[in-house]
Amino acid sequence: MDILASTFFDWGVNLQLLVSGLALGAIYAVVALGFVLVEKSTAVLNLAVGEFLMLGSYFGVAFFMERKTNIFIGTLVITLVMALFGLAIHYGIMRPMVGQGFFAIVLATIGIATVIRAVVQMWFGPLEKGNLTALPTGTIEVAGTSIRWVDIIILLVVLGSVGAFLVFYARTRTGLHMRAVASNIEAAAGVGIDPDRAYAITWAMAIGIAGLGGVMLGHFTPSVNPALAAIGLRAFPAAAIGGFTSVGGSIIGGLIVGVIEQLAGGHFGTKWREPVAFGILILVLIFKPTGLFGQKDLERV
Amino acid sequence: MSSSLKIDGLSVSYGPIPALRNVSIEVPEGGFVSVLGSNGAGKTTLVRTITGVLYLQKGKVTSGSITRDGQDMTKLKTRKIVTGGVAQVPEGRMLFPQLTVEENLRCGAASRRDLAGINDTLSEVFDLFPQLPPLQNQLAGLLSGGEQQMVAVGRALMAKPSLLVCDELSLGLAPLIVRDLFLLLDRINKEGVAVLAIEQNARIALQHSTYAYALEVGEIVLEGPSDELRENQEVQDLYMGGGGDSREAYAAIRREVNR
Amino acid sequence: MTSVTETATPASRQILAKRTPTWMRALPFLVAIASPVILDKISWNPFGGWKLLVGFLVLVGIGWFAWSNAEHDPDDPRLSLKLWHRADQRALAAVTCFVLMAIPFILSTDWEPPMDFPWNSWFRIVNYIILFALGAGAFNLLVGYTGQLSMAHAAFLMIGTMVGAQVGLIWEQSFWLCLPVAALAGAVLGVFFGIPALRLRGLYLMLATIGVHFIILLVWKEYIVHQFGFSGMRFTTPNLPSWLHWIPGINPEDGEFLINSQFRWFWVNLGITTVGLLFIVNVVRSREGRAFAAVRDRDISATLLGINVPRSKLVSFALSSALVSVSGCMLSYYNRARSEDSFHLELVLDYGIIIVVGGFMGIQGAIFGSIFFFALPMYFEWMREELPIISDIDFFSRYAGEIDLAIRGILVVVVLVWRPDGLAGLWQAMKKRALLRMQAPRRGVVQ
Ligand SMILES: Nc1ncnc2c1ncn2[C@@H]1O[C@H](COP(=O)(O)OP(=O)(O)O)[C@@H](O)[C@H]1O
Ligand SMILES: [Mg+2]
Repeated sequence: MDILASTFFDWGVNLQLLVSGLALGAIYAVVALGFVLVEKSTAVLNLAVGEFLMLGSYFGVAFFMERKTNIFIGTLVITLVMALFGLAIHYGIMRPMVGQGFFAIVLATIGIATVIRAVVQMWFGPLEKGNLTALPTGTIEVAGTSIRWVDIIILLVVLGSVGAFLVFYARTRTGLHMRAVASNIEAAAGVGIDPDRAYAITWAMAIGIAGLGGVMLGHFTPSVNPALAAIGLRAFPAAAIGGFTSVGGSIIGGLIVGVIEQLAGGHFGTKWREPVAFGILILVLIFKPTGLFGQKDLERV
Repeated sequence: MSSSLKIDGLSVSYGPIPALRNVSIEVPEGGFVSVLGSNGAGKTTLVRTITGVLYLQKGKVTSGSITRDGQDMTKLKTRKIVTGGVAQVPEGRMLFPQLTVEENLRCGAASRRDLAGINDTLSEVFDLFPQLPPLQNQLAGLLSGGEQQMVAVGRALMAKPSLLVCDELSLGLAPLIVRDLFLLLDRINKEGVAVLAIEQNARIALQHSTYAYALEVGEIVLEGPSDELRENQEVQDLYMGGGGDSREAYAAIRREVNR
Repeated sequence: MTSVTETATPASRQILAKRTPTWMRALPFLVAIASPVILDKISWNPFGGWKLLVGFLVLVGIGWFAWSNAEHDPDDPRLSLKLWHRADQRALAAVTCFVLMAIPFILSTDWEPPMDFPWNSWFRIVNYIILFALGAGAFNLLVGYTGQLSMAHAAFLMIGTMVGAQVGLIWEQSFWLCLPVAALAGAVLGVFFGIPALRLRGLYLMLATIGVHFIILLVWKEYIVHQFGFSGMRFTTPNLPSWLHWIPGINPEDGEFLINSQFRWFWVNLGITTVGLLFIVNVVRSREGRAFAAVRDRDISATLLGINVPRSKLVSFALSSALVSVSGCMLSYYNRARSEDSFHLELVLDYGIIIVVGGFMGIQGAIFGSIFFFALPMYFEWMREELPIISDIDFFSRYAGEIDLAIRGILVVVVLVWRPDGLAGLWQAMKKRALLRMQAPRRGVVQ
């Protein structure tokens, strides 16, 4: 507990932790968005989101480390390729599995995760890579502490792209149709919306965004390695605290959990990160089972 | 008189369970036809088949056809059917509870290509239902039953249909509200939209329609002009709760069906 | 509708009255248990492989005998409440019994199969399959039967291990005491951590139980570091209690009989797993078990049916966790070493794969799933190393682990997409086809 005494009230340390917590939280928000979007509209819990982020990071290695591609072009290509993967998952696996139990579909996503992990290790070898450096690597002095540019950029990029997605979701016709399918698939089919098409778009977007998050994650961590996939599980509390049905809530949940985790890890040691995050999750679930921002079931019975 | 919808010898089953057997119904251009039937008669199955959402329930058309302008619709996707001018008000409203009233209505225009026309249709619908504009930004799940049903009808009208199929419009609503809704259907009908009202509430359906069918256990057991059916003793016993021997009449019809 | 009650009265009572005597129906099972042991004891071996032939003949004989002795009246509702009442089920049960008894003897011969098929490492695999089948069966009781999507499975494996370490290593008590204590601890903590299930369902319950996993994981790490240091636990070799030394074939040295070989572990594992799985099968058939199914299918209407839903959920949590905890304790003793990171959340997913790939509904699924999970990688390894063309491809041996992982992932997806009821469902369908082909409707074949 000596460590505690020395850093707990050190505001410089706290500020650093806060900013890196926000950056981490932004990445969590991306993962949580991947969960929520797919869960909400297709009732599938995609446990492979973490693996898709890892895959995105490795694509980052392939593009930025091995080929020195321009960061904008590379990120765009990665996002698009990942979106194609999303389509493949929908048409190849999820559509044939319609009507099966929740747990079976969850395990199918775990099967996908296993394959991704194996392929990544075959392709890039078992050794870990250094982190990506295509974004500015310097630091900036704020209030006496140095803060990494990368953290700030990650926060802005993620918030910007997630914001753009939210606008798309809330304001466009396609977004409206996606929400309609998520809300009541039978009614949506009845008015002539093709649920299949909405699902396909949902998968493409969710996985595409995960690819973008992967590129950011590759910049955030000290090294790119297969263990990055664990971020999928660690983002669970973010998604649930935000309320699994609220896209906006998952982002706030991500930021909250990121900051709490970094503070807990920084002050008490990293082994406390998951227990603290999941402990908060259990408390939230017990007292408010639909999460802090989750919608109540509006359907009249 | 040309027909807006012609169902011929239609049989539908859910897996091994037959739900409709050899059903033939015709809706004339601009007509108002009703289909009566008690619980489990196959009314909703009929609506699902017409609008092409049967596949969601794993149901299959085993024989027969549904034609419109000479074109068979049983193989068409819902999107095509709606574009072709058939819109439905599904049983139990089936709104999108987490979406606002306006968004619900806009979803009704999902299959339309003339984006510019959608706003005009929206204001027409708002004119038709003066209660709705103030609720425009309210979540649909929070409305009362009557308001929800108006949104459901409005949503169907957003597709600019030439045939409106209503499944149990009266379900769970107060008689006064039901009457208003049917008066509205009359108005819509007067503007040239054919109406197929599928109802358990025979009294009101027969009042408004010109021709009616009675569906029992998946088969058409009676049909005729609504005025005649209204006088028909069997129909009165079965659907209007007249007389104590309704059970017998019902049993008679069952027997006839099972034969 | 009415036919069941009407026809069940006179005709089937006659059949029951005429049924074969119990000893005759038990005979194939007794033979199945005894014959491998006897065959092993006979050392006379004039020409190689004759034991296999005799064993095979006995196997067929047992199967046929059990088949022909079954009570086959498909219409008697009382019969359908019994375990293994149909002819095919009885025959299979007898054959399985024989095979299980024969496996350790066959595996401990020094026979060298062609192409270096890894004979002896299969013993380890078989033992793991048996132990995992118990854990998977218990997991399935909660997830499959009661529909409570819990991810706290590894947490209870850890609890069982901690009990085993505390009772067996620190307090130096017998291994056999560890098991009931582990069961008790599992049951009590199962009820405690099952409390969220009273309020949460589906996805949210899953999340909360992941939380339980991480909390127990923290406790586990603290416990192992404080009690055993960074090198982790080393479990002692258990000892067969002296009051069991009368069993034929047990010859203690210095008054002790150590469970120190794969062969000896096999019997311990098989015994405990059999008891555990039979327990689950019987719970499922009981009133309590039918309440579980009602809870799974619909919480709310189960309440209306007069089922005490919270009670059912907690009982299911308690039973499942108790058995999981026992299997954790056994696994740790069998495995000997445990370290800080022996229990990842991935382990829960492995068990999930076992029960879903094996088939959700039933103990069969747990068994098939465990076999799938362990035997397949072993088989791949052998193919990679020994098969002529495949072993020449450098790529396969270089990425051995990854390829196994990829194949397993692909197989999981393929099984789930292609056969939602898993391997057990596939097996049932195959059996049904075979039985229909044999055209034996009178034997009480399904439908
Ligand atoms: N999704 C379904 N799966 C299987 N059977 C169904 C399904 N929906 C309806 N049925 C059966 O079809 C018959 C007709 O049902 P339905 O069309 O809903 O009747 P109604 O709308 O007149 O009450 C009933 O016997 C019902 O049990
Ligand atoms: Mg209906």
